[in-house]
Amino acid sequence: MTAAPVTAAAPFPETKSSDKPRVFASPLARRIAADRNIVLDRITGSGPHGRILRRDVESAAIAPIAQTTAAQAETLQAGTIQQGDSYLVANSQMRKAIASRLQDSKQQAPHFYLTVDCVIDNLLEARKALNVKAAEGIKISVNDMIIRAAAMALIAVPEANASWEGENTRLFRHADIAMAVAIDGGLITPIVWAAEQKGLAALSQVTADLAARARDGKLAASEYTGGSFTISNLGMFGVREFAAVINPPHGCILAVGAGEQRPIVIDGNLAVATVMSVTLSADHRAVDGAVGARWLQAFKGFVENPVTMLL
Amino acid sequence: MTDTQFDIAVIGGGPGGYVAAIRAAQLGLKPVVIERENLGGICLNWGCIPTKALLRAAELRHSIDEMADFGIMVGEVKVDLAAVVKRSRKVAGRLSMGVKHLLKKNKVTVIAAEAKLGAAKGGLRQINLSNGDMVSAKHVIIATGARARALPNIEADGKTILTYREAMVPETMPESLIIVGSGAIGSEFASFYHDMGVKVTLVEALERILPVEDEDVSAFVQKSFEKRGITIMTGVKLQAVTSDANGVQASIEGHDKSLQASRMILAVGITGNTENLGLETTKIKVDRGHIVTDQWGATGEAGIYAIGDVTGPPWLAHKASHEGIICVERITGQKDVHAIGAGAVPGCTYCRPQVASVGMTEAAAKQAGHDLKIGQFPFAGNGKAIALGDDGGFVKTIFDAKTGELLGAHMVGPEVTELIQGYAIARTLEATEAELMATIFPHPTLSEAMHESVLDAYDRAIHF
Ligand SMILES: Cc1cc2nc3c(=O)[nH]c(=O)nc-3n(C[C@H](O)[C@H](O)[C@H](O)COP(=O)(O)OP(=O)(O)OC[C@H]3O[C@@H](n4cnc5c(N)ncnc54)[C@H](O)[C@@H]3O)c2cc1C
Repeated sequence: MTAAPVTAAAPFPETKSSDKPRVFASPLARRIAADRNIVLDRITGSGPHGRILRRDVESAAIAPIAQTTAAQAETLQAGTIQQGDSYLVANSQMRKAIASRLQDSKQQAPHFYLTVDCVIDNLLEARKALNVKAAEGIKISVNDMIIRAAAMALIAVPEANASWEGENTRLFRHADIAMAVAIDGGLITPIVWAAEQKGLAALSQVTADLAARARDGKLAASEYTGGSFTISNLGMFGVREFAAVINPPHGCILAVGAGEQRPIVIDGNLAVATVMSVTLSADHRAVDGAVGARWLQAFKGFVENPVTMLL
Repeated sequence: MTDTQFDIAVIGGGPGGYVAAIRAAQLGLKPVVIERENLGGICLNWGCIPTKALLRAAELRHSIDEMADFGIMVGEVKVDLAAVVKRSRKVAGRLSMGVKHLLKKNKVTVIAAEAKLGAAKGGLRQINLSNGDMVSAKHVIIATGARARALPNIEADGKTILTYREAMVPETMPESLIIVGSGAIGSEFASFYHDMGVKVTLVEALERILPVEDEDVSAFVQKSFEKRGITIMTGVKLQAVTSDANGVQASIEGHDKSLQASRMILAVGITGNTENLGLETTKIKVDRGHIVTDQWGATGEAGIYAIGDVTGPPWLAHKASHEGIICVERITGQKDVHAIGAGAVPGCTYCRPQVASVGMTEAAAKQAGHDLKIGQFPFAGNGKAIALGDDGGFVKTIFDAKTGELLGAHMVGPEVTELIQGYAIARTLEATEAELMATIFPHPTLSEAMHESVLDAYDRAIHF
């Protein structure tokens, strides 16, 4: 046995009580799921009262991702064009999870959408300046700054940091921001816990690490389960603006478009500015229109005056 | 007889059959139990219960030998064998009556007769009864149990060469006894007869006694049996056995001298009661004396099921009962019914020292390719065991190093048969070493050894 380091007397760290809804699963099921990167809350349990057991995790793990069969490949190669030519790909466990969660979301959460344009020239400049000063290996991205601004806005307008739970509405104390990362065969939303407490340098390290491990399929289930708010950014694909489906149980998702040069009118004069349109999709059960609007206002404020988000 | 048509007919009123019938009644079905002998089956009448009553007498008898250690002086001790056996029969009789009441309370019809499968007509199976009557039912559960297996060249005459039936109602104590077979039944009789003052030789064909148990457990029991004065011969093949008024002589392959004793008990396993049931008129398959079923008890014939000792191993009462329950629940389409998982049936042997286990042995776990973490804690390190004056034995736990799954637990020593269910629950709940470590075990109890064994698997045992 290796000796455990003995540290000087310090107050015991506060144990954080989990605010996440409880998933009933056996300890063994949890351990195997964590080991194989399987999200428990997307598995249906076969045990008493729906408790997730080892067999449920194991069958989720071996759910087949179908390959094109030889026969299908042959038809594809033959070059003859047939009407309705198609083939089946078995839906992976992830596809099914995305399908069922987003279907639930669209069916149950009354979505409404609010869009604002943000002028981001200042933000781009601030980013450049920060990166020149930043330590070796640290590269702050526009996305990091958006997460930072969203986190600050969630603290400024805490009513937007909410989740509908039927009998209650859950209000989160921290900005636990999930960021959508596209991966092979689907997407995953790793979480930056308490993002408001992370400076941009720290934040950029966290997001780079999460995104890399997400693509390698190396995230632990606890790293993408829970959270209070989602950001989905399709700016890098040139998408100008879009409306995202809420990622339950979150109350809101922010869809971020591309920053592009657009003509704008300032004091009656036409000018060119880099503009980024963002759309907030909110669950009206938990977040009202005015709250969403105030949140967007706060977000826009931080983005357009980046000095304020550095505080 | 008023009723002749039932939802479920259960043939055999042992722990498999009567439990299945009660469960069926709970689910709103109309069941009948047909029993040719005694309600409660072998278990209550000729197995688990009467042997435990005998072993309790032996244990009390043995405890007198230790009284002086506790400062209690006892005068002359006499054993009244007839009273010992009578008590054992009384216990069995009381429980058999209890089963009768339970069935009545649950409105289960009971018919005292021998049953034989008849024709299938209009979705109903006819059952012919030895009293000339006939009943029919939508589903039939065969729970006819088993009887002692015979060896090809040895015939049990019931006087000198006995099976368990005669062995548990002796009128006199033999001077010496050969017990053939060292499974649970053979080892229990060895322990009982030895404590009652009989010179016992336990003969086993395999390389060790209690062959289904973990090797460490077999070795420990062998040592403590031998220390008590029981002679043990393993890896031994009986050739010829002859008996006369003076007793039995058994010749052994490769030995010049034959074994001599006043009596012999054959405890070489069981064979299912599959005869005279009318199985040959059905698609039911019998393999080496036992009915072949799937994990729910379904046989090759639609509408006919089999549970308990008449089917495959392990041949234990609690397994028979559990099979009865899941079979009925399956028939009635209940939700969340699960077949008995591998290694889920705990096994207990009530000899001195007691033995209890659940799950895989170390050898089986290794063979299954697991990386293991193994803990072992001796009762010599347990305060309660020392206070009781019964500190021989140990608790061994086997974990999968990767997942923390409790693959197996093996115990030998004081009251371990009462302790094993703690590990059985842990396994059902799929607890890992972490939950077992985090559980608080009361002090001072024997169960603390269970905790320490888990800690030891992770090099964290406190008291050893
Ligand atoms: C000496 C001894 C000790 C044992 N100790 C233990 C122990 O400590 N723990 C444990 O778990 N197990 C023990 N067992 C095993 C246990 O007794 C059996 O596993 C259990 O009884 C099996 O239950 P069952 O319902 O399948 O069959 P049984 O108990 O054998 O019951 C079958 C019943 O069916 C009846 N029957 C058979 N054919 C017909 C027919 N054609 N018509 C009508 N009725 C019929 C029989 O009369 C019998 O009553 C012991 C066995 C023996 C012999």
